This record gives sequence, C-alpha cells and structure tokens, in this order.
Amino acid sequence: MSGSDKVIAVENLRHTYDGKKFALDGVTFDVKKGEVFGLLGKNGAGKTTLIKALTTLISPTSGDLSIMGMDPRHEGRAIRKRIGVVQQGESFDFATVEGNFDIYGVLWGVPKDVRLKRREALIGSYGLQDVRKSRAFDLSGGQKRRVQVAREMMHDMDILFLDEPTTGLDVIMRRELLDSVREQARGGLTVVFTTHNLEEADYLCDRVAVVDEGKFLAMDTVENLKRLYGGKKTVEVTLAGSDGGTFFETLKTKLDGTEIKVDGPSALILTDDPRGALKQVVELAQAAGVQMDWLNIRKNTLEDVFIGSVTKKEGE
Amino acid sequence: MVETPAILKLMYRNVKVNVDPGTLIILVGLPAMYLVFFGFGFGAMIGTAGGTTAYLTFLTPGIMSFQCLMAGTVGGSMLWADRRWGMLAQLLVGPFTRLQYLLGIMLTSLLFGLAGGLVMFFGALLLIGSLNVTLWGMLTAFGVIAVGSIFFGSLMLLIAGLVKSNNAYNSIQILVIFVVNFASTVFYSFSTKLPLPVQVLFQVNPLTYVANAARGGFEGVFPASDVWQVPLLVVETIVVLALATRVYVKSDISFV
Repeated sequence: MSGSDKVIAVENLRHTYDGKKFALDGVTFDVKKGEVFGLLGKNGAGKTTLIKALTTLISPTSGDLSIMGMDPRHEGRAIRKRIGVVQQGESFDFATVEGNFDIYGVLWGVPKDVRLKRREALIGSYGLQDVRKSRAFDLSGGQKRRVQVAREMMHDMDILFLDEPTTGLDVIMRRELLDSVREQARGGLTVVFTTHNLEEADYLCDRVAVVDEGKFLAMDTVENLKRLYGGKKTVEVTLAGSDGGTFFETLKTKLDGTEIKVDGPSALILTDDPRGALKQVVELAQAAGVQMDWLNIRKNTLEDVFIGSVTKKEGE
Repeated sequence: MVETPAILKLMYRNVKVNVDPGTLIILVGLPAMYLVFFGFGFGAMIGTAGGTTAYLTFLTPGIMSFQCLMAGTVGGSMLWADRRWGMLAQLLVGPFTRLQYLLGIMLTSLLFGLAGGLVMFFGALLLIGSLNVTLWGMLTAFGVIAVGSIFFGSLMLLIAGLVKSNNAYNSIQILVIFVVNFASTVFYSFSTKLPLPVQVLFQVNPLTYVANAARGGFEGVFPASDVWQVPLLVVETIVVLALATRVYVKSDISFV
C-alpha cells in the first residue's frame, strides 16, 4: 500500500477515560481508499472508542492519527466535512422521515435541487415510501435503522463509518444495505464497519481486525485470517446405503491421529491436511465399493477466526 | 457559491425542529395566559393602580421580559433533547464545532425571546387597544430582552451541561421558571414591605433587571436606583455564557 493510498493511518493509539484502564491500547493500522475495513469485537472491546477517535469526537490520550492526511486534533472540522457516520444508537430530529432527510441535507449544505432528488431516491431505494410522512420516532426498529443509514447518504463523503448499521434489519434489507455499501466502496468510498455479525463482515469487508480489550488481536484479509486463525479444516463425508461403521474404522486407521467424529453414515474429519484426507476417503471408498452421498471440505468461517484469535490470546 | 454559515444552518434546524405545538404552548401560550388571566384578574382587583387597563399597561413589558426566561428554558431543552435522542453526537461528527452548536442554540433562544416578546406586545395591544411607547422605548425593551435571552439561554445550557438526568433537568427547569418569574418585577413592583430574603431575591434576580429596563423603556423613565442593573446584567451574561461554553466544550459527548 503506497502512502498516498492511505486515507486512515493510525499508530500506537491509546485512550483512557479514567486514567487507569485503556479502552484503546496501542492500536496500529491503515485503511486505504475504497477499502471496506471491519472491526470485529464483543461489547466493550473498544470498537466504539476507536470510532469516536476516528470521527474526532474524542481526542486520544496518545499515539498518532491521520485522517485523509489531516490531524483530527487540529483539523477536526475539515475532517468531519468529508466523513459520514451512522451511530449504533438512534439519532433523529423530532420531524417526519422527509423532514429528517431535508434537515440533514440543509445541515450538510446540499443544494435544494440535489437535496430533493437525493431524498426521493433514498426514500425509494430504502423502502421508506409508506412512512415518509410519519415521525421518525414512531417507526419500527428496522425502519428507524433504514432512515438513519439512508439519511447519511444525503451528503457526499470520502469515508463512511458504520457502527453496527444492520441491527434490527430483516434479512433482505440487510443484504441490500451491505450490497449498497459494497457498491459505493467500488466507487471509491472508504468504509469502516463495526459489527458483531461475523457473516456480515465476511460478506462485506476486504480486511478485518479482531478487537478485544482495546487491542487488535488479528488483522488481515478475511481469507488470510481464516487460513491463519481458523485452525483445522473440516472434511464432511456422508455414505450412501451404509451405516459407515467398518468404513470409518478403516479410515481412522489410515488417518492415524486425525480426529474423526462419526454419526451413523456421516463423519466430520478435522484435519490440517484436508486434501490428503479427501484423497484417502476417495481411495478407501473405491477400494471398498462404497458410494458417497456427500463429500466436502468446509471452509473456515470468520467465527473460527474470532474464536481462534481470542482463544489464542487467552492461552498466552 | 457562497456557503451558508454553519450557525445559520444550525439555527434553521433548531427552529424547524422546535416549532411544534408543545414548544409553542410553553414559549408563547403560557406567557399569553399570564397576560390575560393576571391582566384581567389582578387588574380588576388593583383599583388604586388605575384599574385593568393600567395594570395591563404595567404588565406588558413584564410579560415581554418573561419571554427571555421562557426562550432560555427552550434552549436548555433543545440541548437535552439532542443529547437524549442522539442528535448531539450526530451533529458533532458533522461539519460543525462544539462552539458553533452552542451558539446555534443560544441564537435560537435569542430569536425565540425576541419573537415571543413581539407576540406579547401585539397581544397586549389587542387587549388594551393602544400602548403609548416610543421607538427608542421599544428598542430599549427588545435590546434588554435580547441580553436576557442570552443570559437565561446560557444559564439553562450550563444547567443542562451539568445535570446528568433528564428528569432532574426538567425539575430544575420548572423550579427556575417559578422562582425567577415570581421573585422578579414581571408581575408587580419591588416593595420594601416584602420579607428581607425575598427583597434580596428580587434584587439579585436578572429577570428583575430585564423587566425594570423594559418597563423603563416603555414608560420613558429610568429610576436612578436601577441604572446599575443593565450593566450588571451584561456582565453576568458574559460570565454565564463563558461558563456554559467551558462546561460544554470540555464535556464528553455520549456516542452510543
């Protein structure tokens, strides 16, 4: 990554609220233009404190922080003009859905003609036509979330910070939102995305950082993390027309030391060498004349990464 | 294209969000009811002061002054509502500084104070028929109402910045409205027949200074004993404004 690509550069960032415990404890990372960067962590891990620091809401206790080449400590307003933030909690004006869009557009200095066009487009694409005249506070949880995310799109920005944006959304709306964010990232928008939902991070993020107790436990592309922290891969086998007893006993002998969990005609083989295990299963099946219904190497999930990295830290 | 100043954008938003029936009743309805009920009720009783019309004439600049207190409380409520509904943090990650946000509320309070004063003036004109006041008198009254609006706006923002719960803030607000309003010269003149503690309360109450100066503007007479009040009000306003700004700019903004 060249220096000019970096829109966020953070080095050894630390922050404490009470002078004792560090909510951020030596965080270092870069985010490049157009990247979707995920922050994964449980509650209280330090994700929101990091978002606060990146969006200039708090001044970190120590460390270096640069947003689009600017220092948040001295150029906060210039940075805020170029970012968008969707908070984790509700944030509405006491107005209708339309009113919230209009007020937000005015606050961001969006010209009236552009404002009206964007408002209509966003109300349409986020499925808010039926509630456009309703007060934002009267909407359901999912509708409120949609308004909040859509409203942020009223203005232009270079970086979008999304703090758990899909909370309360149904499956379809969630997928549409993630697709919309991904589409915007393709157009050059940089996205920093916090979530508990590992599937979402897997679907959306180019890179993720696993955060715990103010530290980054792991940070890489999703695929690399799965490879590095996911541990053993799983080979799934289901035999056709056989109870599997003799077959799997023989397989255990051939794959000496490999953990095999047998459940009737099915088995899960946990191994560091899934290709080797697969080869052994196929050769044994051919030799024994056994048919297979299902044979698969299951990819590691981000959940494996999350558990793997947190477990590794606790074991240290 | 010239960009609209941030404070004006914030004021637009504050007005747009707060011009709802509830706020208007608090801001204009309550003083209007005082004007009507107290004006006719007390006016009928105070025969020695010249009857209803004379008391209404006396009451008008007082009720106009009362608007600066009401506008101040609306300012404090705006800050609380923004904190409670997440808009404070949302605005502060937008293209505004904390000071601009604070000044936006302060100037909205000022606008509400002046607009409310004007509504009360025309309301009184409707009830009385005519008010004998010069342009200079009007300017004096509205000038001091403007300073008073900033004072009470700053005071309520200071309280809103220090108090940690919405219920506590609402209770304090009601108490402030009651004490400041009735221990002032809004409804009646200062009297040495009052108990000493109440006399002291009258004399240190900034709303007394506003009401006396506004009444002086209307009547064209400024008693020599009151001339210190407006300069003191200005100094107090500067101090409270500075304190509110300090508390607010240093505060940690919740961001859930």
